[in-house]
Amino acid sequence: MPSGKRARRRRQGALSFDNLVRVVYLGAFLIFLLAPLYWAVITAIKPVDDYMTIPPVWFPEHPTLVHFTAAMFTYRGLVGLINSAVVSVAATALSVLLGTLMGYSFARFNTGGQHLSFWVLSQRFLPPVAVVLPVFLLYRNLGLNDTRLGLILIYTVTSLPLSAWMMFAYFRQMPAELEEAALVDGYGRWGALWKVALPLALPGIIAAAVFAFIFCWTEFFFALILTSRSAYTLPTIFRGFLGFQASSYGEASALAIVSLVPSIILGMLVQRHLVRGLTLGAVRG
Amino acid sequence: MAGAGASAISGRAAVMARNATMNGAGVARRRVRARTWSAWSDRHFKWLLVAPAVILILALTVYPLVYSVWVAFVNFDFQIPGHDFVGLQNFEHVVEDPVARWSLLTTAFLSVSSVVIEFLLGLGLAMAMTKIFTGRGVIMLILIVPLFVSPVVVGQIWSLLLQKPYGPFDYLVGQLFGPTDVSWLTGNPWKYVSLIVGDVWQWTPFMFVILLAGLTSVSPELYEAAELDGVSRWQIFWNITLPQIAPLILIAITFRLLDAVKLFDIIFIMTGGGPGTSTYTTSFYLYQTGFQHFHLGQATAGSWIFLILTAVLIMFLVRRMLRPERA
Repeated sequence: MPSGKRARRRRQGALSFDNLVRVVYLGAFLIFLLAPLYWAVITAIKPVDDYMTIPPVWFPEHPTLVHFTAAMFTYRGLVGLINSAVVSVAATALSVLLGTLMGYSFARFNTGGQHLSFWVLSQRFLPPVAVVLPVFLLYRNLGLNDTRLGLILIYTVTSLPLSAWMMFAYFRQMPAELEEAALVDGYGRWGALWKVALPLALPGIIAAAVFAFIFCWTEFFFALILTSRSAYTLPTIFRGFLGFQASSYGEASALAIVSLVPSIILGMLVQRHLVRGLTLGAVRG
Repeated sequence: MAGAGASAISGRAAVMARNATMNGAGVARRRVRARTWSAWSDRHFKWLLVAPAVILILALTVYPLVYSVWVAFVNFDFQIPGHDFVGLQNFEHVVEDPVARWSLLTTAFLSVSSVVIEFLLGLGLAMAMTKIFTGRGVIMLILIVPLFVSPVVVGQIWSLLLQKPYGPFDYLVGQLFGPTDVSWLTGNPWKYVSLIVGDVWQWTPFMFVILLAGLTSVSPELYEAAELDGVSRWQIFWNITLPQIAPLILIAITFRLLDAVKLFDIIFIMTGGGPGTSTYTTSFYLYQTGFQHFHLGQATAGSWIFLILTAVLIMFLVRRMLRPERA
């Protein structure tokens, strides 16, 4: 008994020390995370006069939205925004459609065994730089360079391992009894998939779609090489700020805000599926 | 097999067609065709489901890769006309290029150090967030924010913070330690530190989220039993926590490392590979060689070497990672 009491006291003492460490560590990390975002927001709404000052202006007294309009029109951010939206939505739809069918087939029929599913997974780790050069040459022959269609196709392929494996994991943990019952009722394989399995898997499909969308929305490398003057996406506009002058800080920050807000909101909505999305279903979470 | 099945069905169709009127024969035939199609599609159901995805992957990654084998062995340069076979010359150009070798070293250094730091910080965060406390939900939401930001945007924001002379970071350092003449984005070794900080900012949450999933799934009985036995906290950490979450550590590190070796976006925005070629990563080197200098043959040869190096890493890490999950 006495030893038990001592142990408990030691644990309580340790606990409060733990709490202190936890608060300090979390606090420091949150500052590290939030400071850059704060600076981006502040820079985006600062008037131009506030840029070249030492000490820096920590909070602008006359906030302005002029940089947002400049970023949208002078730096053609609006076209990039529209291109990004069209390409991301289309590629997401295609990727999730094909990925769901594939994931279902893997989960229910073990199609192609481990080799096929591993081959699909390995696409996820393929360095884009190894693929982009021949794709660039292929697109040149097909007239797909600098088109939205070209970008949609390459994004569909590169996000396929994600959607297929997320859906593979989702269907694997979903009981097959209802589909079997549907088969007995004479639905046929396609009917069982379309009328029973897909509606049940809807939450998983939505989560996979959000992750595929964020992937396409934030992608830079393929867009940099495969687009130039007409199909360029939002992230590629940042190359216009390379070696940039103080006068364009505001536009760069405004564009950064425009780019990060939609994907952050979407990402937070599927927080529950985050672990599965990050590991392609390798971890249940 | 398939032929035999089809003829059996068409045999039955013939009987049905004989019994039908002229008008009904067309309907029956149509119905039969529909039935044979649905029988066929049911029989090959599982393959039909994977076919579109497989075809797309074959067309847009396998075909280009095969085509690029040819590109790697010929003269493929926008400055030199013709596509003559040049043997291993493209590969020799890459291997003998000091910039290529340096970029491989830079890639290894940056990716390993980023991943190690992200792992340690992420493990700390996960341990701090294991217990339930007020405000945990909000902190959780903030911690995952960087995962949804484009790496280009991350690079852009960090450039803003670190630039001289008007960036806030330089000012704060000057206030704390006196004025410095360090350039955070171009100086040695600060440019590497800056790149690592940008990467750590974005990807520590990745480690955190996965390791937290691991920590919360460790059964509390294990800890209780250990505490009853009077085992020290350090020993609990080494002998219970770490072995329990080892599979997830492997997964987290695998995913991060395989992404980190492709490092490109942050380099492009923050340092542009410079000063000179000092912060070239392999991806950046191949991009420059292929798309700025248009030595496509050389860049393709280089990307094949890079691909093989990554493939070795993939085989080693991913196979191992999947094994415990399958069991």
